[in-house]
Amino acid sequence: MSVPVVLSAALLAVGVLAVLLSCVGVLLLPDAFDKLHYAAPANTIGPVALALAIVVRAGFDQAGVKALVVAAVLVSTNSALTHATARAAYVRTHGGWRVDPASPGPEGGRDGRPAGEVAGQTAEEEPE
Amino acid sequence: MNEWLVAGLALLAGLVPCGVAVVRCDVVSRLVALELAGTVDTLILLMLAQGYGRVVYVDLALTLALLSFAGGLVFARFLERHG
Repeated sequence: MSVPVVLSAALLAVGVLAVLLSCVGVLLLPDAFDKLHYAAPANTIGPVALALAIVVRAGFDQAGVKALVVAAVLVSTNSALTHATARAAYVRTHGGWRVDPASPGPEGGRDGRPAGEVAGQTAEEEPE
Repeated sequence: MNEWLVAGLALLAGLVPCGVAVVRCDVVSRLVALELAGTVDTLILLMLAQGYGRVVYVDLALTLALLSFAGGLVFARFLERHG
């Protein structure tokens, strides 16, 4: 067996194992925030390893470049998707994006949601 | 049956935990499992395109990657507004 065949097979195994372990982790962990941690390796290690396996085997032809583009899309959108999901989970469990006045976060009241009592508390504490 | 198709089959097994999580967990965890299933699907399509030697079908994986991203964002906004 030549070197590219062995290397691409090893990269395939790494990518598939990373994705499978991530799936099992998402199933087993109890909280949505914990599950989000396990969604990350499936979106970074998996696509990059599989795309590199294709590039190692096929070279930088159409298939390799397209696989790299797919991996780049998955890796770059992963952060925004993780943040949006974590934000949704936080808003649902805490009743708002900015609950603790001591920790400055993004300004409450996006898209018409009133900043509400949270902003009221911070406004009262600001003169100190 | 080459190694790409074997990898695609192995990735297909990863959809089972995602499906179980979608059925059994709370709402946001379901969204997380759905997003992960979209990623796994994208990789499966990538492996199938390479395994069957049809480079054109990689476009399908690219489309699914972009659409599952947009769908995940829409679901996240929806869950955020409607508690």
